[in-house]
Amino acid sequence: SGAAWARGLLSWARPERWLASGSLFPLSCIHTSTSLQQIGRIGKWEKKNRIVYPPQLPGEPRRPAEIYHCRREIKYSKDKMWYLAKLIKGMSIDQALAQLEFSDKKGAKVIKEVLLEAQEMAVRKHNVEFKSNLHIAESQTGRGRYVKRVRCHGKGMFGMMKISRCHYFVKLVEGPPPPPEPPKTGFDQAKEYVQQLRNRTLVHTL
Amino acid sequence: LVLVRSPLPRLRALLQRCWGRLERGLWPSVFGGQSSPWGPALAVQGPTLIPQGINDAEAPSLLESVVWMAAPKQRRTIEVNRCRRRNPNKLIEIKRNIDVCPECGNLKQKHVLCGYCYAKVKEETRLIRMEIYKKEGGPFNTPTVETVVLYEGEKPTEKDKGKRIIERARKRPSWFVQN
Repeated sequence: SGAAWARGLLSWARPERWLASGSLFPLSCIHTSTSLQQIGRIGKWEKKNRIVYPPQLPGEPRRPAEIYHCRREIKYSKDKMWYLAKLIKGMSIDQALAQLEFSDKKGAKVIKEVLLEAQEMAVRKHNVEFKSNLHIAESQTGRGRYVKRVRCHGKGMFGMMKISRCHYFVKLVEGPPPPPEPPKTGFDQAKEYVQQLRNRTLVHTL
Repeated sequence: LVLVRSPLPRLRALLQRCWGRLERGLWPSVFGGQSSPWGPALAVQGPTLIPQGINDAEAPSLLESVVWMAAPKQRRTIEVNRCRRRNPNKLIEIKRNIDVCPECGNLKQKHVLCGYCYAKVKEETRLIRMEIYKKEGGPFNTPTVETVVLYEGEKPTEKDKGKRIIERARKRPSWFVQN
């Protein structure tokens, strides 16, 4: 991993990479290296807001508005952030904001800001009529760039610690939140089993 | 987090100590109850009465009397890890004690004061304290009488006879009831 790290740092210095990017003038081309690329890169989640659907036909049901928003490189652990993301999955935006306001976790404040930003974006740019008429369809966390640092112990000992960051992604959809799925009963499971038995056929026969 | 120091010097020191104790005969429990295995014994012919126990007991003795620490035997798979981390008792519970404050309309928990109203009152109290500080001039100058806060257009009444009056240059807030 140390070799890969060094390679990543020195990758910008390789001249063959500059010419391989496709432009004619090596001095004016953009470095296609790892470290510089990730600074201004637009991720996939941000690009999801750019898709434009063709106009709907008169008879079709109205397609609900979808708003994608994310925040990158939050100074928090992705596993701890996941618990908050799991909490607000499937809630309406008001309920989610209420739960996050009284949560004691550090990530709750960040997620609350992200949700408020997304709500404002929805009203201004995505033609959403009522700002409360949104629910959270998807909320996910991702791993950000980790940095390794020295952690000093007693007696001159040291260990390597990693400073972890995470990303947070949220998708708001217009409309009331979908009703929660009822838990699977034994009767449903039995019905499924019987149906599986009935679906059996003979194979490789006449 | 990985400690860089290797465990070999520790183990070597431990083994040296164990061996030293063995040499000096300070480890009688090793030989199964005999008090002094190296002490004077009857001189007998032949190899029959050589205590066999020494050679057999030496090899496992060093391993048996050392205190072994618990350590995981196998790596926990990601499936097992997920079952533990996503167990419902580890997920955050949703709070059902959130209400709307009737005064300002912000959210508040049922057993806690509304944060917005509290901040409002705190700010006003800070300004009143600044006025008090200006009047007193320094620490330890608190008079031994009660204090009354009067806002714009208010006159001290009969009840405020012997009390210290603090003036605030604004309209009386609705939540600060007079007397």
